[in-house]
Amino acid sequence: MIKGKIIDHMSLIIMIFSYIIIWMLKTSFPEYSQMLTLLLYYIAIAQAYNIFLGMTGYVDFGYVSYFGLGLYGMALGVSYASQNNLSSSEAIILGMILSVILAGSVAGVVGGIALRLRGAFFAIATIGLSQALRYLIEGAKIWGGAEGIIIAKDLRKLFGEEGFSYATITLPDTGIFILAVATGIIMYLIRISRLGYGLLAIKEDEDAAKVFGVNTTLYKFVAFIISAVLTSLVGSMWTLKVTAIYPPESFNIAFSVEFIVIVMLGGGGTVLGPLIGASIYSLSKYYLGVYLPGLQLTVFSIILLLIVLLFRQGIVGELRSFLYKHEIVRKIIR
Amino acid sequence: MDPGLIIFLFLQGLVLGSIYGIVAVGLSLIFGIARIINLSHGALIMWGAYTALTFFVGYNLSPLGSLFIAIVVGLSLGASIFYLILRRLIGAHELTTLLATFALSIFLEEIARLNYGLDYRGFSWSLGVVKIFDYRLTYSSILAGVIALSIVIILTLFLYKTRIGSALRGVAQDPVGAYICGIDVNKIYALGIGIGFGLAMMSGVIITMYNPTGINPYLGAPYLLKSFVIVVLGGLGSIIGAYVGGIIFGLAEVVLFPLYDYLHFHSPMSMTLFTEFVILLILLLIRPYGLFRR
Repeated sequence: MIKGKIIDHMSLIIMIFSYIIIWMLKTSFPEYSQMLTLLLYYIAIAQAYNIFLGMTGYVDFGYVSYFGLGLYGMALGVSYASQNNLSSSEAIILGMILSVILAGSVAGVVGGIALRLRGAFFAIATIGLSQALRYLIEGAKIWGGAEGIIIAKDLRKLFGEEGFSYATITLPDTGIFILAVATGIIMYLIRISRLGYGLLAIKEDEDAAKVFGVNTTLYKFVAFIISAVLTSLVGSMWTLKVTAIYPPESFNIAFSVEFIVIVMLGGGGTVLGPLIGASIYSLSKYYLGVYLPGLQLTVFSIILLLIVLLFRQGIVGELRSFLYKHEIVRKIIR
Repeated sequence: MDPGLIIFLFLQGLVLGSIYGIVAVGLSLIFGIARIINLSHGALIMWGAYTALTFFVGYNLSPLGSLFIAIVVGLSLGASIFYLILRRLIGAHELTTLLATFALSIFLEEIARLNYGLDYRGFSWSLGVVKIFDYRLTYSSILAGVIALSIVIILTLFLYKTRIGSALRGVAQDPVGAYICGIDVNKIYALGIGIGFGLAMMSGVIITMYNPTGINPYLGAPYLLKSFVIVVLGGLGSIIGAYVGGIIFGLAEVVLFPLYDYLHFHSPMSMTLFTEFVILLILLLIRPYGLFRR
């Protein structure tokens, strides 16, 4: 799968190296542990979303739905397991399977329908989808309706009183780290594969790609499903951390936009972009919250505007085009 | 069901639909002229509502007067935003303009939050009620519907009967062609976006005439989401389509809500919204470019 000289895969090595550094920082400085988990969470989602948004250029404002379905999948799995006296590991595996099934099937239906639309119409259709899901859950009182699902009690029952901190901190933190690494590697493998080049061709000019024999419908669909399923897994781990989920938060479009901003900030379609974007985003969000409480969104909106105006291709993308004449840089910065 | 209720619901649906229509017209106009989906539309509606509130409470000015303030502020804000930000993004990837207008929307909402706080506010501008059989409809809400309709008529006349109006339509059709014909395309974009912003702020004022309570910094979001459905219903970029779409939507809402209530759903309002978004998805499937667009 990975061929060629080491230098050709420099960006993958840099990426894995950064993950190792983040993990080492996390274990050596417990006081920053939760901040670094937040960083890894953003990296994982950004890498997953990058596979679709960054590679194809299609904006899915309803992307948060797959995260939300991941949240619901794990919550349903855990509460089912606790009612039926299953073991704790069975509960987690059941939750992850449910997340993947829920997100995968919804993404399959949406992908089949909405991917026929382009640009603005696709964006609007996906907004409609995430809101429809939210109001269906609330209105028809599915899965607890507006009252949401609270799983703290079930986790206590499954893991025991002393295992509760393992279930809500150690386990999801490790899971999110593994997912961040896995999504990064999957993104890289897609980027260097036939699928990746096809997707980038679609981003440049979909009609031209079609003429040159790229099966655009299939490629977009595959990228969409992979991306949605990976995000739902991040969601399933996040459920264990928050222990209570409600429809308005699970399907909040603001989260979709947060994910879009991170991918755009780093540079859509680049391998290192989500790492850089998520680092800048989560650290500045964290410290703005500390030093300018109440003003972070105002500052963010201005930063976002500046990014849109100054870094059209994101930080990594701009850097790459700026240094494009050096072959070595072209290989390292992807 | 008694016939009085049906007539009342029909009238209420028309009023509500007219308001939804004016909200959607602004969104559709900006898309039609500059190919920008203005995600800050909701925030501008909210600022329109606060304009009505501030001038009513502070200067005892009726919302009718606030309408003029709203259009003036909206026009100048829209034109300056165009020259400051959007001018550089015309013709760029759609994602870029979406993000820019989204950032603008957060900015506007945050300023409102810092200025007014998160409390729900309201004022009472009572003109009395009209009784339709046994049901009450306030005069101010009927006025809101009528004003919305007149604004759409004036806008249509402006677009189809004046020279500037035909310049606007020309740029909407083909910016390059319009440029060759000697039209200053940037000025037209600025004007079009200004009118769109003005319409958004005016619809905020009109919303307070229909329902003068519940003004808060996040008031606009539900209207923005609904107007997405409406503009797709009417065809993105079409003015009359957006207004008619709004009327259909308003009528559907006053029918669906009692229906779900009658069927004993847990939350009829959520089910109504669910149905609306399902309609959107089906519409996008069968008529991706709207019902009224050729």
